[in-house]
Amino acid sequence: MTMRLYMRLASMVTLVVVWWLASLLTPPEVLPSPYRILQTMGKILVELGPEGNTAFFHIGITLFRIVIAFVAAMLAGIGIGLAMGLRRTVEFSLMSLIPLFLTIPTILMVFLAVLWFGFSETGSLVAVMAVVTPFVTVNMAEGTKAMDKSLMDMGKAFKASKQMMLRKVYIPQLMPYLMSAFRYAFGMTWKIVALAETFGIKFGIGYMFFFWFESFDMEQVLAWVLLFVILMLIIEYGVIARFEQRAFAWRRTFSAAAL
Amino acid sequence: MASTVVQVDKLTKKFPAPGGGEEFVVLDAVSLDVKEGEFASLVGPSGCGKSTLLNVIAGIEVENGGSVTVHPATESPDGAIHVGYVFQSARLLNWLTVEDNIRFALEAQGVPREQWRDRVTKYLEMVGLGGQEPNYPLNLSGGMQQRVAIARALAIEPDVLLMDEPFSHLDEITARKMRIDLMDILERAKTTILFVTHDLREAVYLSDDVYMMSTKPARIFRHVQVDLPRPRQPEDPRLFDMEKELVREFFSVLEQTQDQ
Repeated sequence: MTMRLYMRLASMVTLVVVWWLASLLTPPEVLPSPYRILQTMGKILVELGPEGNTAFFHIGITLFRIVIAFVAAMLAGIGIGLAMGLRRTVEFSLMSLIPLFLTIPTILMVFLAVLWFGFSETGSLVAVMAVVTPFVTVNMAEGTKAMDKSLMDMGKAFKASKQMMLRKVYIPQLMPYLMSAFRYAFGMTWKIVALAETFGIKFGIGYMFFFWFESFDMEQVLAWVLLFVILMLIIEYGVIARFEQRAFAWRRTFSAAAL
Repeated sequence: MASTVVQVDKLTKKFPAPGGGEEFVVLDAVSLDVKEGEFASLVGPSGCGKSTLLNVIAGIEVENGGSVTVHPATESPDGAIHVGYVFQSARLLNWLTVEDNIRFALEAQGVPREQWRDRVTKYLEMVGLGGQEPNYPLNLSGGMQQRVAIARALAIEPDVLLMDEPFSHLDEITARKMRIDLMDILERAKTTILFVTHDLREAVYLSDDVYMMSTKPARIFRHVQVDLPRPRQPEDPRLFDMEKELVREFFSVLEQTQDQ
């Protein structure tokens, strides 16, 4: 455990050192040093930016967009996926549409959504749903079909109610599929929202990337990127990983009694 | 005279053939009676429809003809019919603890909540797994998992306990120990059993009644009673003799059906 921790730390430190060495060899407009970026990051968190807001305002807006789009895409995907897994008619009618959506390049999808629905909240929501929902759908449909029929028969033999079956037999079996869909969907959602903001949706972290990119301020661009990365890592490890650990505790518990 | 608990009368079950051809007859007018407190075995070659018969009795599958009736045991307190089922594999919910796996069956069967704790303790101890309540199934060996499955089925205090080749997935040494223990457990639990197996030695060792099933057509061709006192020894020569005789009968029936 400690070994793994050291290795992780070592790789992080190496990255920062390489960055720092590279910054010594390049002019600061191209690659500022890690320390300067950190300083700038601290500054944008407390000082008012070009639109008269601190970074927290933009973080809030971006997070809000991510949460809404993520929830909508997940719910739609879970619903359609379950229907596909349980009903063959639904499966056959949607089967050919899904690869269509999955093959359209993400960046193109964002372009199209923004063109059709404007530089608005709707634009980013549509873009996320068009990309993420099909993936979640496929995952859930597969999970539903992979459910163990012998356990369903067991539940039936003991006359378990529908509600009991759902809670204790179906959902636990779907959890691995749900979690992998969850992870992917979350990662895609924040990338797409940031991209849509960069393309011109007003406010948000992506919008600030573009703002500073246009004024060739590398220090600001990198500070915003770093801020964004840190934010997403916190969510990834602080929220999702913890949830996963709890949901799959049964896989990891070992006790001396078994030996 | 003990009353009948399970009454199977001219039961017929068909499955649609894959590709929509002629229906496949799995059970052809099968009849048998299981009396209260009796250990009845159903023996037959693989694929002869033994498991299907149990599934129809348990309500997992629906019959196409004939009838299955399960009568509540005379001393049943709530008048409801409880059918316990032990499958070939343990079929435990791996995400629930041993205790919660048993509670699953208790809740499903509508057993009052205040009895759950006592029942879990009682039946886990009966199968030799006292103290394993908080453990997860994946930490248990195959044999122990099957013991949990037996405890789960016994905990609902069933009018009849259906067992579908419950030891066939275990190594022979574990299986042998489980058979001996099962005899012991049933002595105490006083449950009526319908046991399915393809192992004639297992059947004669465990049973009071043995029903022999043929395949194509799937029907019961012989009913023998094993009148040997209990407790029995697995090495009892009388069991061997009986097994030999029944094996011979099986082959003659098998040859007849193949000649047709």
